[in-house]
Amino acid sequence: MNEQRVVAPEELIPEVPESIFLFRSCTGSMEYPGTENAIKEVMNKLGVNIVMDPDQTCCSGYLLTCSAYKPEVSLAVTARNLAIVEKQNLDTYVFCNGCYGYNRELTHIMKHNPAYMQMANDVIAKQGYKYEGKTEIHHVQELWYRLKDEIAAKVVKPLQGLKVGVHYGCHYLAQQYHILDDGGYPTFHEDIIEAIGGTPVFYKERQLCCGYSVGRGITHKEATVQPHLYKKFKSAKEAGVELMTTTCPGCNVGLDREQPNLAKRYAEEFNIPVIDLSQLISIALGVPVRKLGFEANTVPLDGIINRLGLERGESSL
Amino acid sequence: MPREKYKDKIEGLYKQVDTYNLVENLETCLACGKCVGNCPVASLNPSYNPRQIISDVLSGDGDRWLDSEEIWRCFWCAGCATVCPNDIQFPLLMMQLRYRAVENNYGLKYIMPFKRFALRAREDGLTFAPSEKGREKIKRYRSNLGVSPWPEISDRAKAEYKELFDLTGATEYLNNTSDESEKPVTFKYTEGRIISE
Repeated sequence: MNEQRVVAPEELIPEVPESIFLFRSCTGSMEYPGTENAIKEVMNKLGVNIVMDPDQTCCSGYLLTCSAYKPEVSLAVTARNLAIVEKQNLDTYVFCNGCYGYNRELTHIMKHNPAYMQMANDVIAKQGYKYEGKTEIHHVQELWYRLKDEIAAKVVKPLQGLKVGVHYGCHYLAQQYHILDDGGYPTFHEDIIEAIGGTPVFYKERQLCCGYSVGRGITHKEATVQPHLYKKFKSAKEAGVELMTTTCPGCNVGLDREQPNLAKRYAEEFNIPVIDLSQLISIALGVPVRKLGFEANTVPLDGIINRLGLERGESSL
Repeated sequence: MPREKYKDKIEGLYKQVDTYNLVENLETCLACGKCVGNCPVASLNPSYNPRQIISDVLSGDGDRWLDSEEIWRCFWCAGCATVCPNDIQFPLLMMQLRYRAVENNYGLKYIMPFKRFALRAREDGLTFAPSEKGREKIKRYRSNLGVSPWPEISDRAKAEYKELFDLTGATEYLNNTSDESEKPVTFKYTEGRIISE
């Protein structure tokens, strides 16, 4: 790997795009639909136009890593989805670390193994597509960081020092090249939290993963995932974290949905709400709470909403 | 076993596991053990040891892990790859070690739940779309947000997604996945020592 691993945001996204292709995430549109909506709201406030395409499917990476099927189908699906983006001449912006990791990993494999590129293109050619490898794959968090100052200037509801513990998510930090920060000691989420008026909390286990990827949340929930998450939440609670942010709806499932089970098993309540970073930015930019879909969260956000003095809006939480 | 000494005999042996040629540089492993130190699973289950697995796979002994419980514990967080001085993509090796285990009828219980999810995803074009009751909840949440009740995915997308499963052999693979001839997996190492061969 001779390519640069960690690059500055200005190098990663030299020019802020007028339009982006937003890659739909299955979890982000079904389990936590507020995530997708929050991203649309923030992009709208930043003046970035969003293009989505109903022909785009799941990235198919999650079940691949669960060993449900072999890589061929995922290579073809990735090529097909990105061929759709390329037709629009746009760069791909994903908002799930899973989609990010799988799309990046699978395109990397195709670009470095001409035989796989050929195989994928042969298959999707039957459906009238051709993937050339032109579209860049970004995570929306890269754009948030690139536009940190613009976001800070647009804050209307500062977070009043809310103690936020961030969760980066592995499949972003583990990429081999062209990312904002690697798994060593990432801090760019904390910079964003500060820019919108929150107090980032560097809790001890903040780089511990959500434990839910490759299906371990289903097969090894009690054996490994719960003791693993218990460590994470215990350290977060001890450090005084009031709210946890993710940049991956998949991590959000692991961290949010598992908390009642942890409380039962370890007789210890954590009650740390977990939301997407985009939802928190939306709050700071004055997006009405009812547009953020917090009713999908297992750990309720009432405390946070009261603390920040936000209007609840019409929808129940 | 000092690998350098037997280099001509064992070079490239790991390709019997890395059949997709995804881990191009496993032989550059320095056995520094950073992967183990940064592994959240190893901290919970000390017998899960990425360095040991790499060492075994390199010397052509990777199959000793096939009937192990250990290989199914990896979270795929890639903490190992993040700290690896030589950028070895251990998760991609783990993926293929699991394929090899499954081919030998080990660990089928750990992939069976995903057969159902994958066959459903093949129809929906979306992964983890829940059953009818769960769908009602999604539709309600989405409607409350003022967006379409169901993610906007076209019939064409669904049909083509399904077709890609058929064209690449994934449908056949999924239909053939069964736990009928399942063989049990056990912990192979304890306190860093091999307890069964």
